[in-house]
Amino acid sequence: MINFDEEIKRFKPSLDVEQVEDAIVKSDLTDMTDIMMELIKQER
Amino acid sequence: MDYVKRNHQIANSYYNLGLEKAQIRDLSGAAECLKKSLHFNKYQTDARNLLGLIYYEMGEAADAIVQWVISLNLQPKDNRCDYYLDEIQRKQGRLEIASQNVKKYNQALWYAQTGIYDLAILQLVAAVEENDHYVKAQLLLALLYMAQENYTKAGKALHKVLQIDRGNQKALWYMSIVKENTGRAEVERQKMDHAFSHTKLEDDNIIIPPTYKESSGAQVVLNIVIGVVLGIAAFMTLVMPARTKELNNAHNQEILSYSEQLSQSNIKIDELESQLAEANGARENAEASLASVVDDNGGLVSQYVLLVRVLQAYRDDDFSTAAQLYSDMNPALITDPNVVPILQTISQDMAEEGYQVLDQMGDAAAGSGDYAGAVAYYDKSLKLKGDNPGVLYDKAVALNAQGQQDTANELFGEIIKNYPDSEYAVMAKEIRGY
Repeated sequence: MINFDEEIKRFKPSLDVEQVEDAIVKSDLTDMTDIMMELIKQER
Repeated sequence: MDYVKRNHQIANSYYNLGLEKAQIRDLSGAAECLKKSLHFNKYQTDARNLLGLIYYEMGEAADAIVQWVISLNLQPKDNRCDYYLDEIQRKQGRLEIASQNVKKYNQALWYAQTGIYDLAILQLVAAVEENDHYVKAQLLLALLYMAQENYTKAGKALHKVLQIDRGNQKALWYMSIVKENTGRAEVERQKMDHAFSHTKLEDDNIIIPPTYKESSGAQVVLNIVIGVVLGIAAFMTLVMPARTKELNNAHNQEILSYSEQLSQSNIKIDELESQLAEANGARENAEASLASVVDDNGGLVSQYVLLVRVLQAYRDDDFSTAAQLYSDMNPALITDPNVVPILQTISQDMAEEGYQVLDQMGDAAAGSGDYAGAVAYYDKSLKLKGDNPGVLYDKAVALNAQGQQDTANELFGEIIKNYPDSEYAVMAKEIRGY
């Protein structure tokens, strides 16, 4: 059976259109290649 | 850089998996795969564009725009998302509506999380009415309905979510609970049991179609009546027009045949009438010819009779009778070459003496007071010799004596005019008083 209160908490607000610019700026575009390149740099 | 290549391969694999899931409308599953693809290769443009499309399809327009803008920044040329963004921005109202819907959902979520469920439901209903593909709003609405134990409305919202996103785990879970509470789960379980059960049919088993029903007596009668009505209707619409047309054609042919016969009969009647007219004409001609032959006065036979009587008068030496008879004849009718010479002799004799005898007979009659007889004799004399002013004068005098002054005056005038130098003209003038 559903725990209604817990389930309600799992819902997140939707991204508003007005917040698109912030969202784009804050987007983390780091991919696995970037991480590995960073690791290789650190080892060197 | 083997690991770069390996990362790209993994990213492509996740993209392919996400694409397959998107094609079968497992949108949430596809979104997870595409996100993983982008974790391995942020330049996987197709994956990012498809992720944006999935967000847009699920009512998350802002998330879709974020993905497409990033995609366009990473690959400015030959990028399909350029078209997507253009489509969204082309209609200003569309973006505004999407923004309003998001606001309604966020407001409803706040109401729900603070326990104001009624207002939350109102906001969510308005949001899904505007965009029924807003999956997150539909799910929250279904949850609120379930909390109110309104499982029917919850089921409808969840059904819509599963139409958009078949693999939505949360919707599937909620739907299972709804089915349990509405008894739908038990029905489906029984259906599945029947569908996969394999009971062996025996000889006594009868398969009755699910639509079969035993009919009552009234239903049987009603069915028969309906059948009869339909039969009559079919007969009237399918058979009768053809039959009527056939009969009309036959009647038309018959009428044509009668018309031809009638027209031929009319032609025959016209021919017979023409023949009858010709026959009547011929008969009238024959009758006229016969009349001309037997006529007492002018007929041919009469002329011969008169000729015979003239000859008899000659034989009796009665010239006055001969002259009277001759004056009644029409010598031109006698054309027999054997008779014509005799007639010519008589005519010559009458021209020389006959008219005088008749004039004398007229004088004798006038002398005895028989003016009518005198006029008759004078006429006969004039018939034998018309150019005779003396006889004309005598006739005028006789007419005058009879009291026929007008006719007498005409004759006196004729004498004065035609024979002015004669003594009779002088006497006529005296009588007329000139």
